[in-house]
Amino acid sequence: MRLPGFRVLGGYLGRRALLWISPLAVLLLWVAVCRAGVFPEQILVSPGVVLDTFVELWASGELPEHIGLSLYRLAWGFALGVFLGVAFGVSMALSPLVEKLFSPFFNAVRQVPSIAFIPVFILMFGVEETFKIVIVTKAAFFPVAVAAVDAVKGIPQRLVEVAKVYRLPLLPLVRRLILPSTVPPIFTGMRLSLTRAWIVLVAAELLASDSGIGQMMEMGRQMFRIDIVMVGVALTGVIGFTLDRGCQLMEWRLIRWRTR
Amino acid sequence: MMFATAMKRRAFSLLQGLVVPVLLVGVWELLSRQSATYAYVFVSVEGIWESSLELLGSGELALNFLATLRCALQSILIGSLLGIGVGTLMGISRIAEILIGPLYHTVRQVPLLGWIPLIGLWFGTGEFAKNLMVVTAVFYPMVLHTYEGIRNVEKHYMEVGQVFRFNRWQRFVHILLPNAWPSIFTGFLNALAFAWVATIGSELLFATGPGLGGLMLIAQAASKMEVVIVCIVTIGLTGYLMNHGIARIRKWLLKWRYAH
Repeated sequence: MRLPGFRVLGGYLGRRALLWISPLAVLLLWVAVCRAGVFPEQILVSPGVVLDTFVELWASGELPEHIGLSLYRLAWGFALGVFLGVAFGVSMALSPLVEKLFSPFFNAVRQVPSIAFIPVFILMFGVEETFKIVIVTKAAFFPVAVAAVDAVKGIPQRLVEVAKVYRLPLLPLVRRLILPSTVPPIFTGMRLSLTRAWIVLVAAELLASDSGIGQMMEMGRQMFRIDIVMVGVALTGVIGFTLDRGCQLMEWRLIRWRTR
Repeated sequence: MMFATAMKRRAFSLLQGLVVPVLLVGVWELLSRQSATYAYVFVSVEGIWESSLELLGSGELALNFLATLRCALQSILIGSLLGIGVGTLMGISRIAEILIGPLYHTVRQVPLLGWIPLIGLWFGTGEFAKNLMVVTAVFYPMVLHTYEGIRNVEKHYMEVGQVFRFNRWQRFVHILLPNAWPSIFTGFLNALAFAWVATIGSELLFATGPGLGGLMLIAQAASKMEVVIVCIVTIGLTGYLMNHGIARIRKWLLKWRYAH
């Protein structure tokens, strides 16, 4: 008797399992190298020690505090950046005058990577919270603004005209036409903003901070605590990944909502 | 006649674009004259001008700029070669894909700048560490685009290859590589922009040796806003020229591809 369904399932699981080969091999190699004592403790510690450090940092409340502070800065800076970006982008798209006045300057500033603004903002705002929120805002602003300009300009004009012919009231017009054609592209811009904002925040914390994930790693580096550094690196990746994936899920829901 | 009006319109829109920057410079200058504390951050326009002349005249700017450029170019070369190699391997061999793919996608989740403390511990903060960062920044997109270019080869071409009884090498040289080339080139153009940001970022965060990032950080520590601004403008201009050049190459390539 042939059960093609099982075969497909087996093949799928088999392929899934194959994907674990190399990460597991690396992990085993890591453990083996540590057991053999090839490197001193300041250079490499075993995955078990890293995990212990993670648990310890978490239980002591130190880690939740760092994560909380980083996410707090990210949330404020991102919210501000998105708000300003959408406002600026929409006004650039709607008013030719605003576009003519601002777009050359906007495009010039856009050429400079956000991270290069860190020294400027430190000099202007000091090394406290304001500086971190401002740099995150700056990083979040540009992708959203660009997306908002494109989104508003991309509203299908023919449909707007049809709506005008039918004298569609404002509320349905916004709900049925404007929002569905602008929100998804702006959302894509926001996703890019969030990833960039996270990177820039970690960099800013590495350079100048007294708290946050970045500062925790920098302290770990200075004290040769490789375990803390590794916890930080892994967490930076996990948080960035989660933020991006969360946005992606929301994006998919939005697209479903749009096509409905 | 038409030409003259077009010229006038162009000049006018250029002037309009200058309004905001000029206003901002004006506000900056006003702030610099408010008080000594303000002048500390908002260095007068004259001060910035003098400082840029001095940096240019002494060759300090050129020296640091060339160091940054050299780091970027070296790493672009190494990173693209490595990326094309690994991407090709993943594209033509299932085993390589299964072994390298999961590792590549896991490691890529950590934002590049997040690795800095770990790299600092392992490799110090010298040229090698900087190059490693930038090579990685170039490596990621190159692998992805090479792999996709090779995997997305048209089926009929492979069938033609079978008709000709190509061996593996011939198939690679005559079918896969020419097909992947546009995608590889797109990856390379993306990688250029990443390389520039990564170079500035790693110079700032490692803060050793010559380079625009290092120069900026030293200037920030010495509260020399004028030097920081000259650096930012240099970084922005280089980025602008690079993006402009990339856009032109893209346009030219598209034309070339349609023409053939």
